[in-house]
Amino acid sequence: MHMTVWGNRKPLEREMQENTQDGTPGSWFRVTIPYGVKYDRTWLMNSIQRHCSVPFTPVDFHFVKNGARFFVQEASTASALMDVSYKICDEESRKVCIPVFVSPSAAPYSVRYKLKPEEMEQLKLTLIKRFNIYKQALDLQRLFVDPDLVGHNIDIILNQRSCMSATLQTIEKNFPELLSLNLSSNKLYQLDGLSDIIQMAPTVKILNLSKNKLTSVWELSKMQGLKLEELWLQGNPLCGTFPDQSTYVRAIRDRFPKLLRLDGQELPSPVTVDVDTPCVLNPCKGSYFGCDELKSLVLQFLQQYYSIHDCGDRQGLVGAYHEQACFSLTIPFHPEDPAPSSLCEYFKDSRNMKKLKDPHLRVQLLKHTKRDIVHTLCVPPKTQHDFGSFVVDMWSQTERMLCFSVNGVFKELEGSSQGCVRAFTRTFIATPAGYSSLFIVNDELFVWDVNPKKTQSAVSIPVPTPSTSSMPSFYWEQQQMVQAFSTQSGMNLQWSQKCLQDNK
Amino acid sequence: MAMPMDFKTYVDQACKAAEEFVNIYYETMDKRRRVLTRLYLDKATLIWNGNVVTGLEALANFFDTLPSSEFQVNMLDCQPVHEQATQAQTTVLVVTSGTVKFDGNRQRYFNQSFLLTAQSTPNNTVWKIASDCFRFQDWASS
Repeated sequence: MHMTVWGNRKPLEREMQENTQDGTPGSWFRVTIPYGVKYDRTWLMNSIQRHCSVPFTPVDFHFVKNGARFFVQEASTASALMDVSYKICDEESRKVCIPVFVSPSAAPYSVRYKLKPEEMEQLKLTLIKRFNIYKQALDLQRLFVDPDLVGHNIDIILNQRSCMSATLQTIEKNFPELLSLNLSSNKLYQLDGLSDIIQMAPTVKILNLSKNKLTSVWELSKMQGLKLEELWLQGNPLCGTFPDQSTYVRAIRDRFPKLLRLDGQELPSPVTVDVDTPCVLNPCKGSYFGCDELKSLVLQFLQQYYSIHDCGDRQGLVGAYHEQACFSLTIPFHPEDPAPSSLCEYFKDSRNMKKLKDPHLRVQLLKHTKRDIVHTLCVPPKTQHDFGSFVVDMWSQTERMLCFSVNGVFKELEGSSQGCVRAFTRTFIATPAGYSSLFIVNDELFVWDVNPKKTQSAVSIPVPTPSTSSMPSFYWEQQQMVQAFSTQSGMNLQWSQKCLQDNK
Repeated sequence: MAMPMDFKTYVDQACKAAEEFVNIYYETMDKRRRVLTRLYLDKATLIWNGNVVTGLEALANFFDTLPSSEFQVNMLDCQPVHEQATQAQTTVLVVTSGTVKFDGNRQRYFNQSFLLTAQSTPNNTVWKIASDCFRFQDWASS
């Protein structure tokens, strides 16, 4: 038989003979499951029972650091439990087998410090006095200074395992339908003793642990499974460990999902996390740039780009794109739309993948190379973009890339949709190129129709256009010169333009 | 500057990733919100209507406080991001648009853009969000 005695390879029988600490027959064994805290206690114990060839009664189940531990009597029980080691598989990960270590030990606390029969009788009488049958409530506040118990020289220190165990046994026998248990002011430092409460007093729904010495919420985990509706914890050091009330409440509710009242306060009805969240959305803010330098870079870029775009010859845009850039355009797909929308000018180039499934077409409609792109851009009618409407989000940047989206509106100045206002969102991915300018590598454009009611005040501020009337294709480079001059001289863009012209 | 892979292949890969990803993303957002952060890289950033959220913990808190949602995507487009910009980390730009109803609020139009980067394991490629930009679109006609 494979021995998995923890840290010890002697046969069990010899261990028993050597273990004469308490001299009593029917030796005790300590059973440890490392990382036992991970598992649901009921599942764990049931699994062990199922795999164990001998039925057993676990005594003083408690948690030690991350492990679970309990005691059993009789060597035969202990051997049977050793055999269970690595036979039970973790519920979640089928490959993980749970070890069970068994070693001889002294008798558990609750047995060693067991109350004598006459003490148990007095305890019962004391508890009966403190029991309110109408409310099914047991008030054990300050039990250690109860005059009856003190008078009989009985120390019921509930923090001690044996005392808590005796109390729970008394409750189990005499108050089988207990609803409310008050353990306030009993100098409780830990709740190991209460881990049996689920077996001994399962009907308890109201528990008062206030004014004790509990330092961690983790203690409450020892009572997991108890269907508490009301809990009192105030006056324990653990209450001060939370940054705010809602974190505190959430931590408690995690362990007792059906909790309705905490520290005397009604909690909102516990349904799912989603219902708890407020229906209030974060307020919407304007453009986000990240930092001022990038803000000016991007705004200048947009100003230059749309100046060229709007003032007639879009061929000038070819200087803004990387040789191998990509561009695509999309308009909305409304299955219910009966008539062709006024966005028909854009329709043939639209690459809405929700509608377009043909892989070949998907490649074709993605314009690749700056020539193709500019060719496509020159097709739609003349536009006037409303710079004042622009909301810009700079949402990704690295040393090699800036990624930003522009939302705004523009008006069509000619063609069948003359006067129509469109909304657009354009996402640019650009890489730095030379002195404070950008090359576009990816350009994605969404265009929508705008609700006519919203167009009243739209398109009021056109993009500032330079005063030169002829637009040569090297206009972009000229703008870069303007920019450089502006930065060096400290003047703003328009004035720089004027200066350069004046000095030609 | 020529791309080592055939351009068509890049585009096909991007389209496949984008479609699959978008389906998973909005389904998770609507029905399994608690695990939504699994779709993001550790240092991912979200700009949500101009509000910045950086890192998984902040994202988890943000999605936790966002009311429950019902998304309907009407527009989807994607492009492979040029390697000049991505330092040889395969990246796809995905842009979506549609409507969303947040619990307790009226239905609104939205735009969302993602930068997805590929995390390759021997068996498959997992796409995760490096950056995310979301905005309500108030101009669109209803």
